[in-house]
Amino acid sequence: MRHQGPLRHRAAYVAFDRFPSSKGSAVHIAQMADELFTRFEGGLLAAIGGGDLPRYQREGTREVARFDAAIPNLIDRAEAFSGWVAAHLRPHWETLEVCHVRDPWSALPAVADGRRHTVVYEVNGLPSIEMSHTWPWAAPATLGKIRELERFCLERSDAVVVPSRVIGDAVRGLGVPEGRIHLVPNGADVRDRPERPAGAPERYLVYVGALQPWQGLDVLMRAFARLADLPGLRLVVCASVPERRAKPVRRLAERLGVAERVDWRFALPHHEVAAWLAHAEVSVAPLTGCARNLDQGCAPLKVIESMAAGVPVVASDLPAVRELMADGRHGRLVPADRPAELARAVRILLEYPEEAAAMGRRGRAHIEESLTWARSRARLTEVYRTLTRGR
Amino acid sequence: MNRCTVTTGFFVLGRCGRSAVAACPQCGRPVCGAHAGPNALCPECAAAQGYRTQDPHHPGWTRGYRREYYRGSSQSYNDGYWYSSFDEYDRGAFNPGDDYSYGGDWGPDDDTGFVDS
Ligand SMILES: [Zn+2]
Ligand SMILES: [Zn+2]
Repeated sequence: MRHQGPLRHRAAYVAFDRFPSSKGSAVHIAQMADELFTRFEGGLLAAIGGGDLPRYQREGTREVARFDAAIPNLIDRAEAFSGWVAAHLRPHWETLEVCHVRDPWSALPAVADGRRHTVVYEVNGLPSIEMSHTWPWAAPATLGKIRELERFCLERSDAVVVPSRVIGDAVRGLGVPEGRIHLVPNGADVRDRPERPAGAPERYLVYVGALQPWQGLDVLMRAFARLADLPGLRLVVCASVPERRAKPVRRLAERLGVAERVDWRFALPHHEVAAWLAHAEVSVAPLTGCARNLDQGCAPLKVIESMAAGVPVVASDLPAVRELMADGRHGRLVPADRPAELARAVRILLEYPEEAAAMGRRGRAHIEESLTWARSRARLTEVYRTLTRGR
Repeated sequence: MNRCTVTTGFFVLGRCGRSAVAACPQCGRPVCGAHAGPNALCPECAAAQGYRTQDPHHPGWTRGYRREYYRGSSQSYNDGYWYSSFDEYDRGAFNPGDDYSYGGDWGPDDDTGFVDS
C-alpha cells in the first residue's frame, strides 16, 4: 500500500446514511463521492455502517469511516453521529478544502467557525418536512427546531446542491440566496440489456424503491386489484428495505385479494434491480400528492433508472416527476392518489405494446442525451471549481 | 493457507482473498502483503488508530460523547441557541416503534437516512 500512515485528506463527504446499501441514496452517494474524490485525489467518506460493514476501509487514497453505534433514539443517534463526524474531520482540519454534506447533522460539524474549507450542502429533502411523515408523533415545535437547525447549516454553507427544481424552490424558501443554489440532477447509466432475472414471471409490472407511505404503494395495490382480469399479469416489488418493513403493504395486498399475484424481492443489489426493470412491461412510480413530494420535492431515481432500462413509466403527475419525464412520450403521468386512473394508464400501455415499447426506447434515449451520471458529475465538478477558485 | 479477509471496494464490496502473510496484532485477522500496514496492522485497525476512536459500545459513550461534542461546538459556534434545543420531550417522539411507516423497531439492518428518493 502506498499510504501506510494516517491519511490527510483535502476532501470529505459526510452522510447520515448507510453506505453502501440497496437504497437509491447509496447510488447517489457513490456517484457524488466518487466525483469528489477523483477531483481531490482521495478523500474521507464518513457514513453509517453496521451489519457486516467494516468500521474503517482504505482504498488507496480513499478512506471510508462508518458510524455503527446502536443508539435507538433517532435524535440521540443523529447527535452522536455529529460528534463522531467532528472527531473524524479534526485530523484533516488543516488540509480540508471541500466538505460535502447531505443533512443537518452531517453539516453541523462541517460548518463550524474557524474552518478553511468550503461546505457544499446537498439537499435531497428537508428533514423538517420529511420527518413529519416518518415520525407522526413529532410535535410541530420539535419540527420547528429541526427547521432552525436546517436554516443554521444552510446559511453557513458555501453552496447548496439540489437534485430538482422543486427542492431548489424549497431551499430558496428557507432563505438561501439564488446564486448559492446549484441544480445537479440525479442520473443513471445506460447499459446493455441485462439477462432476464431467474424466476421472473412472463409478464409483470415492477415497483422499485422503499416502502414509506409517500411512495404510494397503497395506491399501486388498489390499482393492481383493478387489473385482476388480465391473465398472468404479476406485480414485482423490488423493495430497497428489509422484509419486515413490508408488513403494512403486505397486509393491504391480502385485504385487497392481490397478495397471490405479487412477488417480493428485498434489498437486491443495484445491478439485479436493473435486470428486473429491463424485463418489466411497465415500471410504476405512484408517489402520493403529499407535502413531502409536493412542497419539499423529490428526485425519484426509480423514474430515471426505469427510463435508462428502456421500460415505459407510469408515474404520478407531480412537478418533480415532470422535470424528469414527459407524459405520452416516456410513459404516462397520472393524477396522484387515484388508483382507477393509475390502473387505466397501465392497462392502455399493456394493450398497445408497440407504443409502449416506443416510449421505453424514447425514455432510454432521453437519459442518454440529458440525464447520465457523467453529466451530473460534470456539473458537480463545476460547482467545486467555482467555489475553490481564488481560495 | 489463510486468505486475507480485508474488505475491498467502494459501492460493491468484496473480500481481498489473497494469501495472508501475517495476522493483524490488534484484531487477529489474516492480512496479505498489500494490506498489511505498519506492524502488520490491518487497514481497519490502522485507520482506527488515526482517529483514536472511542469504544461506542461503552455505556457512557452516547451521553458522554454528546456532552463533549456540545461543549466543543458551543465554543466554536459561539451560539448558545440551537445546540441544547432538543429536550427530552422532543427526543421522545423519535424512539423506535413510534415510527409507524417503517412498521416497528429499529434494527441494525435499517438505513438511517432522514430523507429518501
Ligand atoms: Zn486489525
Ligand atoms: Zn489483502
